[in-house]
Amino acid sequence: MDYKYLAETAGKIPAADKNAVNEYREKSEYLIAGINKSMSERHDLKELIGENNLAMMKDNHANHVRFIHSILKNPNAEVLTDTVLWVFRAYQNHGFAANYWAAQLNSWFHILKRELSPESYRQIIPLYEWMQVNIPLFEKLSNKTTEPGLSNH
Amino acid sequence: MATENPILKPLLSGNHKASSKIVTDMMSESVPVKEIYERVLKPALYEVGELWEQNKISVATEHLASAIVESLMNEIYLQLRTSKKPEKTAVVTCLENEHHQIGARMVSDIFELNGWNVYFLGANTPQNDLLNYIRMVKPQLVAISLSIYFHLPTLESTLNQISSEFPKLQVLIGGQAFLRGALKILSNYPGITYLPDLNAIENFLIQYKHGL
Ligand code: B12
Repeated sequence: MDYKYLAETAGKIPAADKNAVNEYREKSEYLIAGINKSMSERHDLKELIGENNLAMMKDNHANHVRFIHSILKNPNAEVLTDTVLWVFRAYQNHGFAANYWAAQLNSWFHILKRELSPESYRQIIPLYEWMQVNIPLFEKLSNKTTEPGLSNH
Repeated sequence: MATENPILKPLLSGNHKASSKIVTDMMSESVPVKEIYERVLKPALYEVGELWEQNKISVATEHLASAIVESLMNEIYLQLRTSKKPEKTAVVTCLENEHHQIGARMVSDIFELNGWNVYFLGANTPQNDLLNYIRMVKPQLVAISLSIYFHLPTLESTLNQISSEFPKLQVLIGGQAFLRGALKILSNYPGITYLPDLNAIENFLIQYKHGL
């Protein structure tokens, strides 16, 4: 039910145009550097990501940008939903706190605004808004599907 | 779904000898290589992935297990004997930034067992180098493996280049990225075939031999 809701709403996220997708890709290194810096400077970082997880956090940010570029280019509601669920599950199992997602997404909004042109920002932000408003649902669903076999790989 | 896969324990504890014995015993019982890959090594690695995801094993243990599997595949490879003289050539590769190469290696071995001459380019092959290689060896077929969904844009740009420069070249694609919906993009590439596993590849090769 919740999954269906996520996949359905993911399917309704307006597609970004080619220019916006290209700009996102061209600026990916700045985006990754920006999010790494802003998260690393937080005083509560340890509470958000747990002990010894800095490298894993940076991996997540780099993979995030590659994945979002891929989804902007080829929108696919199911892949988007499954992958966000996988990320929540895998990272929380490794000691990331539930609050990490809210903190990370908040930072993304600032960084995207700073780095992208206003038009590209407007085109891309609905996808981030979708992730942000659905944090509680992702939280709930990812905790449910930890048994092997249900996680798609 | 904890399967009783006897090789999992030795892989996780780094016991190369015990892992190797399981494989060599199967070889001496004439279990086909394809079965060893599909029924033993692949499920063990999938389980390793689950265990990593659940934080039940470390990245180091995951690396150890996959390194042992690769060395078992080397042992198996040494025993691959085909009397057939290769008539056809295939290039088997992973895309740029794609570091999962074990599935592609298995694919490559199945081609060899079916009498093909194979160039296995392995993980993280830059797009231009792949294209140059195709120009150089002029294969009948290229097989591309993709595990991570976010490499889809690279796959698309590679497929675009291949189909414009080598419109007649047979292209196969596979790997776990396609379990997650990536198959949708295939509607843009009618000549390209997706196959899920080694059984499907073997069937495909048999048909190919008989003129498809
Ligand atoms: C070993 C491993 C690694 C090793 C790979 C080492 C190596 N030498 O290959 C390393 C450490 C490099 C690695 C890295 C990462 N990994 Co990894 N890895 C795995 C693991 C445990 C096993 C992979 C494997 O060999 N499987 C066995 C092979 C035989 O299966 P296969 O690839 O599916 O191949 C079969 C078919 O798909 C098909 N096939 C494959 N290729 C082709 C090609 C053609 C043409 C055809 C027809 C068929 C075909 O035939 C094969 C036989 O049936 C998997 C778990 C899993 N489920 O597989 C995770 C997994 C794939 N990895 C994962 C992740 C997330 C990563 C990283 C992003 C981690 C990180 N945060 O950095 C990086 C990405 C690196 C990159 N840029 O590519 C996730 C992917 C999740 C997702 N949502 O997509 C998995 C599923 C783990 C998990 N459960 O979370 N990984």
